[in-house]
Amino acid sequence: MDHLNPISPTVSAALIVLLAPLLAFIITVVSGKRMKSGLPAVLAMAISLLAAIFVFANIWNEEVIHQQIPWFTVGSNTFTLGIILNNLSAIMVVLVCVIALPVHIYSMVYMKDDGGIHRYWMYLSLFCFAMLGLVLVDSLLLMYMAWELVGFASYLLIGFWFTKTAAVKANKKAFLINRIGDLGFLIGIAILYTQFHTLDLVALFGEEGLVKQAINDGNSWYSAGESMPAEWLTIAGISFFLGAMAKSAQFPFHIWLPDAMEGPTAVSSLIHAATMVAAGVFMLVRISPLFDSQVLLLIASIGAFTAFMAASIALTQNDIKKILAFSTISQLGFMMVAIGIGQYGAAIFHLVTHAFFKCLLFLSAGAVIHEMHHLKEKYQLDFDAQDIRNMGGLRKFMPWTFRLTLVAALALAGLPLTAGYLSKDAILIYTFEWSEWQSGYWKIVPIALFVTSALTAFYIGRLVFKVFFGKFRLEKLLQKHLHVQEAPKWMLYPMFFLTLGALFAFFSYNPLVFEDAWLLKGFELTETLQRVNIYHTVVPAAINSISVVVIFIAWRWYARGKYPVEKLTGVWYRFSESQWYFNMLYDRVIVKGLIETSRFFYAFDRAVVDGIVNRSGAMVRLLANLSQWLDRNVVDGLVNGVGKLSFNLGGILRGSRKGKVQYYLLSMLFFLLIVLLVGLNLF
Amino acid sequence: MITLAHFVIVSAILFSIGLYAVLAKKNAILILVGIELMINAAVLNLVAFGRYDGALYGGQTFALFAIVLAAAAVAVALAIILNVYKHYKSIDPDDINELKD
Repeated sequence: MDHLNPISPTVSAALIVLLAPLLAFIITVVSGKRMKSGLPAVLAMAISLLAAIFVFANIWNEEVIHQQIPWFTVGSNTFTLGIILNNLSAIMVVLVCVIALPVHIYSMVYMKDDGGIHRYWMYLSLFCFAMLGLVLVDSLLLMYMAWELVGFASYLLIGFWFTKTAAVKANKKAFLINRIGDLGFLIGIAILYTQFHTLDLVALFGEEGLVKQAINDGNSWYSAGESMPAEWLTIAGISFFLGAMAKSAQFPFHIWLPDAMEGPTAVSSLIHAATMVAAGVFMLVRISPLFDSQVLLLIASIGAFTAFMAASIALTQNDIKKILAFSTISQLGFMMVAIGIGQYGAAIFHLVTHAFFKCLLFLSAGAVIHEMHHLKEKYQLDFDAQDIRNMGGLRKFMPWTFRLTLVAALALAGLPLTAGYLSKDAILIYTFEWSEWQSGYWKIVPIALFVTSALTAFYIGRLVFKVFFGKFRLEKLLQKHLHVQEAPKWMLYPMFFLTLGALFAFFSYNPLVFEDAWLLKGFELTETLQRVNIYHTVVPAAINSISVVVIFIAWRWYARGKYPVEKLTGVWYRFSESQWYFNMLYDRVIVKGLIETSRFFYAFDRAVVDGIVNRSGAMVRLLANLSQWLDRNVVDGLVNGVGKLSFNLGGILRGSRKGKVQYYLLSMLFFLLIVLLVGLNLF
Repeated sequence: MITLAHFVIVSAILFSIGLYAVLAKKNAILILVGIELMINAAVLNLVAFGRYDGALYGGQTFALFAIVLAAAAVAVALAIILNVYKHYKSIDPDDINELKD
């Protein structure tokens, strides 16, 4: 039995990684309102990080460790509790910890004065525990549990300021939309369980896994004596993808993510960088052997569309966090495309680099918002602290925040020397190579990504220039001299740390060629694409020159204020600003449709169902009345009639016995006479 | 010539009058009178039929006994009526309709 084996140091380290946040969660829950410092949560995350690095060092490109103990048995199938440690879980575990620790430290300052901070630490620990569980567990069942827990913890965090209506609405929306995805995940699990009778990830998706051994002849899907129609393979793949779409905010389920900005900014950075949204991408990579070509094409096209759509929306948003939210959706679209073309390593590579620079961007945004808030309170002003139209020229006040943001922005735009350059080019080039082997119109996928890259450079340029360059617009607006402070030290340190991860050096010794990145080499290519050399030089050169041009345009427009048009009323502008009218569409079609449908059913219920019930009730009452009448008048009447008859008879007979002696005598005389007469006649 | 039939008829009339008095009168004394009439009708019959018993005159003898007994009975009956009157303040037989005392 597995569980009798001595637990190796690596496995115990992995367990420490997992259990430290859980312990912190329990301690924080028990301490209740006294827990203001968040020390257990931060310490636990530090321990997790150390243990995770240990695990990573032992696992990366080494032997895969899979250890489990039996949990419970249903019929002849035993479910297990276990962890799997391979390259994928090792890199994810480190990533989650590496991102979570700076966020924890940052939160100590950022959330310092919040009244509900004890709840904050509680939720944060729970969230990290759930995410670490998601990446470590070895069965789909446990993964689903962690998946749900991540969804629930994110629900709590998004709605952390639950007195704000918008926050409550946002977390409800996130939760509901994630439920749709959860349903897809569950259906996928059910299909796999029906086919293979196990939910063990290694047994299913390992090297010699059941999924790889299963044969699909286009008609039926065979595996170890079981078979089902071939479509179920595609349906299973789509179901899992549905789960990932909701979690990773892909079209059409992307709408929860911008609203999720209602949570504290530190939370947004965690959700958007390494945890919640990464869960979908991670899950798809985990179960990647399952996907057939149709599902992969679907994933690629949804990813490409989402990437383009979100980038086009990000162009015109004015809320600093909203821009970053759509940027996240767009970048997740990149990862989806990478999965769709079978380059799982590239997807994870981009996931990792994106985690660093996106987290950094969010923390910078948080620092800016924090200081704007400070300003608001200091001068007793009333303005939107998140609106970039109120900012400008902040680089003079917050030089460090500006520098760090700049690095992250360059990484997001994918300029050389950054980590974003490596991973984004990997995806772009692979996509071009992939499209060589697809029919002609699939060229649209790499082109969409190409355009998206240019848009990305523009919108992040716009953000940086509007916030940090030009004149401080709030001063002009309020006709007042304002002084903004630099972010506190302890908010800047985590950001420094993340900046390291946003630079190339962390991933590759060669800043220009992504193929040298160690992370990418850690994942074997499931589908090797034929290397088309020309793409490896032309694509990066083209995209970078376009990016530079676009950034220059953004600089002219936003930093120098040479905006080409005065008023923004164009159709396309409004289309983008209103986020492609998706919220409106969903409101009109789905929400209203649902409300109308439920109204209809309410009326139906009222009129028909209730009607039938009431009618039958009335009928029963009528019947009851009838039988009551019958009972009272016929049955009772009979009984009473008999009684009355004897009573009346008695009454009549009693009349003769009224104690009158002379009547008695008279009757005696009569009877005597009768007897005499009868006797005389008879005898 | 007065025959036995005449006696019997008178006796029957007497009996009937007595019977009527017993049944119809609302006065206990008159009822008693009715009873006496009926006894006397019977006595008349005894005397009338006694003619045919020339040797022993059994009829006449029995009549004498009957008259004496009737007198005794009247005494007893009057005593009862007195008591009834004392108790009920009435000698109407209709008022005396309770068996209990």
